[in-house]
Amino acid sequence: MTTISWSFVEVAARLLEGDDREAVLGDLLETGEIGLRGLFDVFGLAVRRQLALWKDWRPWLASCGMALPGSLLLMGFSLSVSQTYQRLIHPTIFKATGLTVGPGFTLLLCNVFLLIAWSWTGGFVMGSISRRTVRVSAVLSFLPCMFCLARFRVESLSRFCLLLFLLPAIWGVCRGLQIAQIKLRSALILAAGITLLTIPTWMSKGSWIPNWALSWPAWYLVAMAWKGEALKERERWRTN
Amino acid sequence: MLGEFEYLMITAAAGLGDQAYGAAIREEIERTTGRKCSIGALYTTIERLEKKGLLTTWMGEATAERGGRAKRMVRVTPKGVKAAKDFYDVVIRVSRGASWVANRTGSTS
Repeated sequence: MTTISWSFVEVAARLLEGDDREAVLGDLLETGEIGLRGLFDVFGLAVRRQLALWKDWRPWLASCGMALPGSLLLMGFSLSVSQTYQRLIHPTIFKATGLTVGPGFTLLLCNVFLLIAWSWTGGFVMGSISRRTVRVSAVLSFLPCMFCLARFRVESLSRFCLLLFLLPAIWGVCRGLQIAQIKLRSALILAAGITLLTIPTWMSKGSWIPNWALSWPAWYLVAMAWKGEALKERERWRTN
Repeated sequence: MLGEFEYLMITAAAGLGDQAYGAAIREEIERTTGRKCSIGALYTTIERLEKKGLLTTWMGEATAERGGRAKRMVRVTPKGVKAAKDFYDVVIRVSRGASWVANRTGSTS
């Protein structure tokens, strides 16, 4: 029984970070609290640690400013790209003319690039802005996905068309967790590229809100990279 | 100014000296106050006090009775000593004239 309850405590302690986990598990063993109280203690500390993180603005921006609206908008855009693909790249085109494709192919290509770039930058910002709350942000971005997947009713398309954004977004999150910021030059190219790719949609009314809701992470990366470069420059001046 | 639990923490850590670490501080607080002290309250307060510069912590030695796990050692900084002394002075000042203090000292003022 004791071994079983201690196993639960050890599993719960995975919610804590390295040094915390080490110290807390050691304390519990030393005081012999390896039962239910130990389990409550570990959960209590994990909850307190998580709540303390939310006093800062970054987790709120990552979850409510990026994860939740971002996943909703990117699902809509994934669907739009899938429908464009279905309309333009019909199998009969290839059958009849080999490599000849419809006139909207360039637009489709732009949209695919835009989808990848938006998803990647959104994921990167989500991962880098608040690493310790990334699990909550991930849950918040999955909730709309589950809801939309359950209610998807387009017969000609698979419901997984909604999730085209997922792979580049996960890639972005992973990179964001690994490196806090990208180089200024790369950030500028990315942000400028995204802005250029959104130009065709500027004419249509009401599209500027989703455009900017998905484009701000790219310009945020520029601002962060610029700030990082400025700090490095200042440091260099101070040491010389 | 410190909170009550922060004061208890600093005082317990100062009293334990080189033996001040999570479990020992917790035991000391529970023994002297007669109240349960959760690990959550203990470690979040330690972190808060460390951020304020009133404590320093580091990972110490691992012992067999802890399953080979390290202790989180705690030391009170001079700033922490001053903050605790200020808190104590305030408690002493504000308590002057209180009936329980008068009874304890035997004064009738």
